[in-house]
Amino acid sequence: MKTIRVAAIAILVLMSLVVLGAHYLAPAGYEQQFRETTEAAPSIHHLLGTDELGRDRWARLLYGMRVSLTLAPLAALFTTVLAGLVGGIAGYFGGWTERCSKLLIDLFLSVPWLFLLITVRAVLPLNVSPEASVTVTFALLGLLGWAASARVICAGAKDLMKSEFVWMARASGFSGLKLVRLHLMPNLRGALLAQFWISIPVFIIAEANLGALGLGVAEPLPSLGSLLRELQDSVMVRPEPWRLLPLAVLIVVISSFQVLLNRQEIRT
Amino acid sequence: MLRFWSGAVLRLMAVMLMASFAGAMLMRIAPGFSSDDQELNSGLSAQSIQAIRKAHLADANIPYFYAQYLGALIRGDLGTSRSLNQPVKDLLRERLPTTLVNLAFALTVGWLLGLALAIATQTWEIPSLNFLANGLSGTFISTPAAALALVFLLLRWPPAFAAALLVFPKIYRYTQNLLQQSSEMPHVLTARAKGAGPWRVLAWHVAPIAFPQIIALVGVSISIGIGVLLPIEVVTDVAGIGQLAWQAAQARDLPLLVNLTMVVTFVTVCATLISDAAQQGLKRSAA
Repeated sequence: MKTIRVAAIAILVLMSLVVLGAHYLAPAGYEQQFRETTEAAPSIHHLLGTDELGRDRWARLLYGMRVSLTLAPLAALFTTVLAGLVGGIAGYFGGWTERCSKLLIDLFLSVPWLFLLITVRAVLPLNVSPEASVTVTFALLGLLGWAASARVICAGAKDLMKSEFVWMARASGFSGLKLVRLHLMPNLRGALLAQFWISIPVFIIAEANLGALGLGVAEPLPSLGSLLRELQDSVMVRPEPWRLLPLAVLIVVISSFQVLLNRQEIRT
Repeated sequence: MLRFWSGAVLRLMAVMLMASFAGAMLMRIAPGFSSDDQELNSGLSAQSIQAIRKAHLADANIPYFYAQYLGALIRGDLGTSRSLNQPVKDLLRERLPTTLVNLAFALTVGWLLGLALAIATQTWEIPSLNFLANGLSGTFISTPAAALALVFLLLRWPPAFAAALLVFPKIYRYTQNLLQQSSEMPHVLTARAKGAGPWRVLAWHVAPIAFPQIIALVGVSISIGIGVLLPIEVVTDVAGIGQLAWQAAQARDLPLLVNLTMVVTFVTVCATLISDAAQQGLKRSAA
């Protein structure tokens, strides 16, 4: 198990380096077209061949990884902050605040959020710029994916509020803000960090689903999800198996995250 | 028990009202709500385009739209789909059975596979089986539903099986975790020390502790199932609720979208309530 974990860390470090060095590793820009060599097979010039518009697939994969692997953690950070606020406030105050927050959490957990995401994403104007589409896609992921994490944080905060050291701190005259800063935040840090790591692969998968359905990042900007759209041309996948590489990269990245997540943390 | 059920029904009603209102709100505040692809149709007359714009304006007033919608809902009228020009009730009647059949298949196979592998790995403790089960669950938990659907389309395998494979990892990991925790409890260790066989330990000591918590996963698995069926139906061209939602979202068909959101939420909340009630009942009978 230790070997697998080390391998997972190595893969993620390697992917991060690739993402950082995409500009130097890519033979061309992600939107540069080689019109003489459309649908080309892999060669020294184009390691994964070119797509139907003559764009280098290897370059698009590198830049796609950069988009997905940079923005998914940002969305995860956003959702963790949101979950920390809602869950923390609910757990700290209890009573009606907790009941109302739990109702809101129940609501977000009841609607399959990919359903909600697709719906909201689909009503956006068709002519959004690629930069706007990528921002909107990941902002929506962050905005809609906080509920499960908030439930965990709420339970954690509630337990902490019942703990002896918090009672003693209160008896010693600690104000609310001081209590949160000195006792709640440090003790909830582990849970928040776990929720952050759990959210990253979830968001990468969600973006991949959106991208494969044509509702993710707009062309010509690539993402791991939008690169999967090439697989829809199922007739071409058998003779050109290198088209499956974005999917393989996606599975390897997510699997590496899953390996690193503790079993306790991936519990529902 | 009466208190539990009255609380549950109140929660259901509150969640349903909030879900439908939130759905309508999201549609309204999203940029592009007031525009319609049909306005670009050069074949339409100026009057037709004006009529389309008017129809959008009526929906734009959220409280008005929502009050009208709830009143109609109480009368059993789910409205008419703007894009498909058909009563929403008829569309649901046509599409819901397909999704429910696929969902039932996905859940049954996913649960059976997940439970079987979790029990097998816990009981026999064979490293290669453990590796295989963890590898399988790791692979499918890491695969986007749309990508797996594309692979299934390529292999011409039934799409519902793809949904089952995406539901299974959650069941397997959660169940295995619970069985692991339960099997480390002192009374289970004592039973083993006294020479009870693995199946006897599982049936008499581990399962009664883990079972009520596993039941709680039923509601969550339904939500996961519906979630993964949406992209699968779109990619594999299955005429179910997921594909309908996709078409409605693309056509910005608010009445249809709100009703679909309501139906999906209703099914999920009801399933969660039933699994919660079953869990409570099991805990009470065990006590």
